[in-house]
Amino acid sequence: MTWHWAWRDLLRHRGRTALSLLGVTIATALLLDMVLLSGGIERSFERLLAGKGFELRVSPQGTLPFDTDATLDHVDALISALRAEPGVANVGPVLGASAFARRRETLVPLIVYGIDPDVQGIYQIESGTDLRRSDMAGVLVGAPSARRLALAVGDTVRLTGDLDPQIATGLRDRVVTVRGIADFVYDAADQPSIAVTLPLAQFLVGPRGADRASFLMIKLAGNARPDVTAARLRATMPGVTISSIADMVAQFRLRLSYFRQMSIILGTIALIVTVMLVGTLLAVAVNERIADIAALRAIGIGRQTIVRQVLAEGFLLTIGGGTAGVFLGVATARWLDAILTSFPGLPAAISFFVPDSRHLALAAAILLSAGVAAGIWPAWHAVTAPIAETLRSEAP
Amino acid sequence: MTYAAIVAEHVEKRYQLEEQVVRAVQDVSLRIDAGEYVAVVGPSGCGKSTLLSLLGGLDSPTAGRVFVLGQALDVLGDRELTRLRLERIGFVFQRFHLLPVLTALENVELPMAERGVGKSDRRTRAQELLEYVGLPGRANHRATQLSGGEMQRVAIARALVNQPAILLADEPTGELDAATGAGILALFRRLHADGLTLVVVTHDSRLADDAGRVIGLLDGRIVS
Repeated sequence: MTWHWAWRDLLRHRGRTALSLLGVTIATALLLDMVLLSGGIERSFERLLAGKGFELRVSPQGTLPFDTDATLDHVDALISALRAEPGVANVGPVLGASAFARRRETLVPLIVYGIDPDVQGIYQIESGTDLRRSDMAGVLVGAPSARRLALAVGDTVRLTGDLDPQIATGLRDRVVTVRGIADFVYDAADQPSIAVTLPLAQFLVGPRGADRASFLMIKLAGNARPDVTAARLRATMPGVTISSIADMVAQFRLRLSYFRQMSIILGTIALIVTVMLVGTLLAVAVNERIADIAALRAIGIGRQTIVRQVLAEGFLLTIGGGTAGVFLGVATARWLDAILTSFPGLPAAISFFVPDSRHLALAAAILLSAGVAAGIWPAWHAVTAPIAETLRSEAP
Repeated sequence: MTYAAIVAEHVEKRYQLEEQVVRAVQDVSLRIDAGEYVAVVGPSGCGKSTLLSLLGGLDSPTAGRVFVLGQALDVLGDRELTRLRLERIGFVFQRFHLLPVLTALENVELPMAERGVGKSDRRTRAQELLEYVGLPGRANHRATQLSGGEMQRVAIARALVNQPAILLADEPTGELDAATGAGILALFRRLHADGLTLVVVTHDSRLADDAGRVIGLLDGRIVS
């Protein structure tokens, strides 16, 4: 009878209940978004890093991949040394540099990735074919570059590197053929990227690029643990920075602590609002019915029953508002995600709001607890009001 | 041989009202036998409702003792007192205090649900009682859809549903017009005839006339 009674009580004051439900819905949506935001971007970043199966990165000492323009030197020797390490299955270099494509008389700026096509984790082919390791005349272009340069598979384009700013002339030119269109997984939206083999990229960079790479990506053997291998490599190669995915996520988390703090603060506010809304509604409802409740206790209805009934109303409000809040929260998360991921420099594949069953379950549990907790004071008030005095004060 | 349904021994109730001590009930001793129909009368504020609360275990006396069906109330904890009220004492109030969101039938069922009686048994018994109080056709009407007299009948059915030994009523006709009140009087006569112990606080002279004994209160003391 508890639920039936609670439900009818809520329906009795439809306007008040609807307003409270709306409040709980908004608070839930905010809480949900904050929970998704607090860890979402980390999970998204982790998925992005792990997506191509490379567990470790090697970068110049004190840096993270793509963090600075610093490069690793003696890359060939370093790759050979790493490949000889136990647990290392393969090593792929990435050299990031600027280059230009000549389009009639204009120079179109591009981001060039020099890679080993046999061991790379930064793109996937969308059309055409991949490069070959020895290919010194081929290029893969990303969709934004292809659009900007009006290129298709089989077209040729003249790449210019090592540009002399005084004469706007590249010291190193190479005409290359588009072998394929690629999706660069770490690129921001509309980033004009291309990929060539590492030797060609080093050629385009000039002397500064000889035997250099921005970072290396390491694929581990099946039984090798990333943390253990990383620790061993750090000990044997102190001149470079070895980062596991967990290390990079931790760094990322550090840099995004602002988001975390903001989400915790807003999430807490959402919870407080929920408790206040539900608590206020129940307190008003109990005060309105305090004489009826006293009469119920007079006829032998136990305190537990009264408490259960008040808490049930809080639970129903929270469940109702919470369910609607999930839909509202998901919609607003999508909308906010579209805004946040359009910030320049962020990989397009990153998402700020990533649903995670553990976090969602936690949010649901917190919300329900808050809803029920909000009923504790009104319930306590209902069952501790002195029966005779309450009835007397309500008498005509 | 009759036995005492309610015994009060030198019962007192004092309240602190701001800086003043109010003696609502003073040195009241009485015995109400099982099956008796007792009316408690007196002017407003003389302590009638307070005395009824003390006799029904809704409040505890400042001094003295109350026994209900041989059980001293002062030794009972809240849980036992609640149980006693649920199973052995029925209450009827001037303002009915039905749950407005429930139907007449559900209101009557409520004390049985508290006792753990199954739904179908509850339904049958509640229906029987609504017929007994003259409301067979109003079972599925919400309390708010009933007239004052009908609400009081439902409240009486609710008070009787666990087959109490004692019915305590506080101004049961106070909110009703004369004709409707007469129906409640008839119902009380019927309950008395069926052997229920009735204690009724009232201003209604007709109720007092029906009672087998009238206790007069003045300034918290029994005066007649």
